[in-house]
Amino acid sequence: MSENVTPTVDDLREIADQVWSAYLDPEGIRPFQQGESHEPAKGVSASVSLTGAWHGHVLVTCSSEAARHAAAAFLAMETEEVSDEDMTDVMGELANIVGGNVKSMLPPATLVSLPHVVNGASNRFPTTRQICELAGTWLDEPFSISMWQGRDAGVVAA
Amino acid sequence: MRLILRRIVGQLGFEVSDAEDGRAALDLLAGMETVPNLALVDWNMPNMNGLEFVTAAREDPRLREMTLVMVTTESEQSHIVRALAAGAHEYVIKPFTSEAMIEKLALLGLVPTGANT
Repeated sequence: MSENVTPTVDDLREIADQVWSAYLDPEGIRPFQQGESHEPAKGVSASVSLTGAWHGHVLVTCSSEAARHAAAAFLAMETEEVSDEDMTDVMGELANIVGGNVKSMLPPATLVSLPHVVNGASNRFPTTRQICELAGTWLDEPFSISMWQGRDAGVVAA
Repeated sequence: MRLILRRIVGQLGFEVSDAEDGRAALDLLAGMETVPNLALVDWNMPNMNGLEFVTAAREDPRLREMTLVMVTTESEQSHIVRALAAGAHEYVIKPFTSEAMIEKLALLGLVPTGANT
C-alpha cells in the first residue's frame, strides 16, 4: 500500500472478524454487533503505538465486563476465574493483534510498540485525530476499535 | 498469547514451559537438561524480541535441533523473510485458530497429520 492509504472502518471490521472467529467467538454464536460508539462508564483500554513511516495509535476499548468475557474466551476459562492480570494480558494481546494487522496496510518502515493497557480509564492521545472507529457491542457491552493518527504524520524531521 | 499456545500444544501432549520474553527463554533453556523439540516464539516481546531470540538460539549449537516457529502479527513479506533468514523454521500469523497452529506443527512433523480431527 502507498503512504497515502488510510485504514478504514472496513479494514478494522475485517481484522475484528478474524479475531472474533479465532478467539472470541469461534462457534459463531456471540458476534460483535456493529453500532453506535459510546464510552463505557468503567472500562479497559489497550493500545499500541505505530511509529516510523506512519505515526499513530490503535486503541481497543471496552467495558470491564466485556474485557472479562474476552479474557475468559481467550484463555478458555470461566468468567469467574478471570483475574485483573488476565484481563490486562488479553486486552494487550488484542491491541497487539489488531495493531500488527493494521501495520501491514501501512508503509513498510512502520513499527508496532508493545501494548499499553489502562484499567478504569481510556487512553488519550494528544496531538492526534481519530481516523476511523469500529464501534458497537459485544454481549451487550460496549466495545470499540479505533485508529488515531498523529497530526504530524508524514513529516520527517532531520 | 502464551496461555493460548500453552493450551493448544498441551492438548497435543507436549510438556510446556513458557517464558515472558526472549532473554528469559534463553535463561530457561540454559537450565534445562533436555532441549525442547519446539519453541513457539512471539515476535513482539519486551527486553529481547522474537527475532533476537531466534538469532541467539541459532547461534547456540546446543539448540540446533530445536524447531523454531515464529508467532506474529507481522504478515509483511519482508518480516517473514527476516524471520526465516534468522533461522525460524515456520511462522504463524495472528490471529490464528488452534487448527491452523496444529496444521503448521503437522507440516513440521511435530504432530501426526490429522491431529485436528
